[in-house]
Amino acid sequence: MSSFLQATLYGLLQGGLLALIAAGFSLVWGVMNIVNLAHGSFVILGAYVAWKLQSLTGVDPFLGMFASALALFVLGYLVQRYVINLVVNAPIFVTLLLTFGLDLLLVQGMNIVFSADYRSIQTSYASANFGAGGVRLPYGRLFAFLVAVAVTLVLVAVVNRTRVGLSITATGMDRGAARLMGIRARHVYALTFGIAAALAGMAGAMVGTVGTFQPADAARYTLLSFVIAVLGGLGNMYGAMAGGLVIGLVEAWGGQYLPGTWVNALAFLVLVLVLIFRPSGLVGKAYYAARVEV
Amino acid sequence: MTTQSTAPGRVLGTNPAALRTAFARRWGPWLLGLLIVGGAFALQSQIYVGQERTVSTIFMFVALAQAWNLIGGFAGYACFGQVVFFGLGGYTTAVLMAHTHVGFWVSLVVSALLATAFGALIGLPLLRLKGHYFAIATLGVAEGMREVVINVPSLTGGGAGITVPTVGNQATTAYLGNNGFYVLFLLIAAGSVAISGLVSRSKFGFALRAVNQDEDAAGAVGVNTTRTKVLTFALSGFVTGLVGATYAFQQVTIFPERLFDVNITVLMVIMVVIGGSGTVLGPVLGAVGLQFVSEYLRQHYTNVHIFLLGLIIIVGVVLLPQGVVPYVRDAVRTREFSLLANVRRYRL
Amino acid sequence: MTTMPATSPAPASTVGPPVLETRGLGRRFGGLQAVSDVSFSVPAGQTLGVIGPNGAGKSTFINLVTGHIRPTSGQVLIDGKDLTGAKPWVIAKARVARTFQIVKPFRGMSIRENVAVGVLHGPDGTSVMSQALAAADEVLERVGLGAQASRSPGELSVADARRLEFAKALALKPRLLLLDEVMAGLRHTEIEPSLELIDSLKREGMTIIAVEHVMKAILAISDRVLVLHQGQVLTSGAPREVLSDERVIEAYLGHRYAKRQQR
Repeated sequence: MSSFLQATLYGLLQGGLLALIAAGFSLVWGVMNIVNLAHGSFVILGAYVAWKLQSLTGVDPFLGMFASALALFVLGYLVQRYVINLVVNAPIFVTLLLTFGLDLLLVQGMNIVFSADYRSIQTSYASANFGAGGVRLPYGRLFAFLVAVAVTLVLVAVVNRTRVGLSITATGMDRGAARLMGIRARHVYALTFGIAAALAGMAGAMVGTVGTFQPADAARYTLLSFVIAVLGGLGNMYGAMAGGLVIGLVEAWGGQYLPGTWVNALAFLVLVLVLIFRPSGLVGKAYYAARVEV
Repeated sequence: MTTQSTAPGRVLGTNPAALRTAFARRWGPWLLGLLIVGGAFALQSQIYVGQERTVSTIFMFVALAQAWNLIGGFAGYACFGQVVFFGLGGYTTAVLMAHTHVGFWVSLVVSALLATAFGALIGLPLLRLKGHYFAIATLGVAEGMREVVINVPSLTGGGAGITVPTVGNQATTAYLGNNGFYVLFLLIAAGSVAISGLVSRSKFGFALRAVNQDEDAAGAVGVNTTRTKVLTFALSGFVTGLVGATYAFQQVTIFPERLFDVNITVLMVIMVVIGGSGTVLGPVLGAVGLQFVSEYLRQHYTNVHIFLLGLIIIVGVVLLPQGVVPYVRDAVRTREFSLLANVRRYRL
Repeated sequence: MTTMPATSPAPASTVGPPVLETRGLGRRFGGLQAVSDVSFSVPAGQTLGVIGPNGAGKSTFINLVTGHIRPTSGQVLIDGKDLTGAKPWVIAKARVARTFQIVKPFRGMSIRENVAVGVLHGPDGTSVMSQALAAADEVLERVGLGAQASRSPGELSVADARRLEFAKALALKPRLLLLDEVMAGLRHTEIEPSLELIDSLKREGMTIIAVEHVMKAILAISDRVLVLHQGQVLTSGAPREVLSDERVIEAYLGHRYAKRQQR
């Protein structure tokens, strides 16, 4: 029983972190119809920024994550503004390929600069834990979860309530109309991509705190973002939250009770079935699913 | 090499020059293709063993790119799980040869047919999805299939891989060797280009291109869009499965990580998009060009070759989003060769 | 282009089932009833004009007949055969052709190839490419696009793009032709040739249903007019009578305008 509780707890905590990773991915997809295959490498890059900062100046990773966010925001903004915007009107394989090329560039770049060794960001408290009823709860994971939930909520508030957020939403719904209202689509697209990259970078800092990372892990986070974004419904931040928790739980339970790595097969089966039977996601709006390709 | 508007109905029997042009347009590409295949055969005796393997790999990717071109290029469905047919074909052949001692040639046919059937089976539900949704669903199928293969070790050897018996009394078919695989991959590549050429010029190809542009409009003029898409997916599964089966025998020992490697799918997509999707010549150019460049970089800049490859993809895609063949075709027609003007067409 | 049994010179309406009949046809989208309980029939050789204000369900109605949208209630009978919910290509092979309000050319194919798709895959489905292209040229000649056959759809003017829609439909050699606002956005001088074309099709005995906003066109071509309002049939009858019906004026121009006209 306590092993079940332990798995559930870990699943939920991990799920919160996954939700933050997927939130940015989902935002970019929903607003610009771009599937960013380099999203996972943004996460890992964020982890390296926090790691490097800590080893150079001793800054705590939970502060360092803001540096990760800033660095990734700048990178994301520039990439969208001066590269991806150039092919936004081309067929979808083109943006897929472009971001894949970017992913190759970043992952190999990190390999060259940081090597392929596994790293982790050490803190005095992250692996300390308190327990109750046979269940252990590490502080690091708890903090990471709380930060992830808080940031996701802030993102939702920003998108739904601020001027910037509304211009992002409007541009996502109808670029032509948004332009007529005086919204600079080029800038808004770059902003959206920058925000998404910043969230990924932030999440990366926490990924590095609660576990290990290396450049090749990027693909795994991209794929998980994919699955979560679809489960949650495109462009839906609360959906990403729900999707993240579902995947976190499925991974934790599956790892506990299924032999071998059947849990991975199960996750993909769930993905395909959701796509076939409920393409608008678990809590998604039909709007995004019915949306035609731009 | 794609069907440009030829109207033999108008020119037939009128003017011998026009008749010759029509004839050249109809048969010229086939003759050219035969010449190239003949040249490739002749090349075999002129190169070293190492080069022979490299060229075999190029042939393999020509076939794979052409297979992806059917569903991704002609039909316009961005399949990001194409490697599932490759893995399915490879594992079918390996399992048949290792466990049931069936010969390679029979296994090859069974593998390709199984991949075809699988394409039709998953195509029916998945081809109702559009755009990225189809891309991800197929990706999910491929990744899921890899996990299944890893988790049934009694049949597939699991993560430790499976070995095709090639020597001793367990061997059912003598190993083909570098020369044999060179010829086999060459024939499969030539066959895939021929299939693409036939599709491009046929009644079926018209249906396919109509589906690519607008399915409602295609249905309205009598095109059975469901059948067209599913058949295309099955056909592309057939070619990919054939290649996978041959690859498995060539490698002798295969692993799920390699046979279901998402990068193989991505390579197919890159080759098709850079060459020009929905054209017959584009995937060939893309496969040959990219493999050539990749091999060159590997040899001369070993440490940073993937980094450079990423850079080349980005620059290539930004400058020529529509691919080399369509760009050249349009540039010749409109006399507008400027790459900058080309970039302007797709930017925000 | 045989539209009725060769042995019978009498109007088809009296000898066979109507070309199109709908019974209680309806479609609900979530909470919105876009079309409800539409029942009527079109005898062979008749031209039916369909009018109604924006959002009256005219395009949905065409989509229901051609299988592009599945009805949630009612039946569609073509030549007396129940084809409710049949796929678009089944309807096309029953010689029912349509145009789209928002033109849907096959980009990346020449104008000639655009039309040839229908010749190849339509009811008479040939497999001989040269025949199909020649047949496409004939159709293009007829709609006045003969000179443009080798160009690509992106190079066409608005009027010519609408002609291409027409040509793609005619490639099926239809018995029933559904036109969804083929005059929309055309200048006066561009409307004339379209009217002439429709007229010549009528003379050949083709049955036509034309959704149209251009009243001049409706009056010129319709034998009968059907008015849709809020997804339902408001009225139908002879064109002039229907257009002077006060309920129709009210539906189009609003309650107060109709009242003022009466005074």
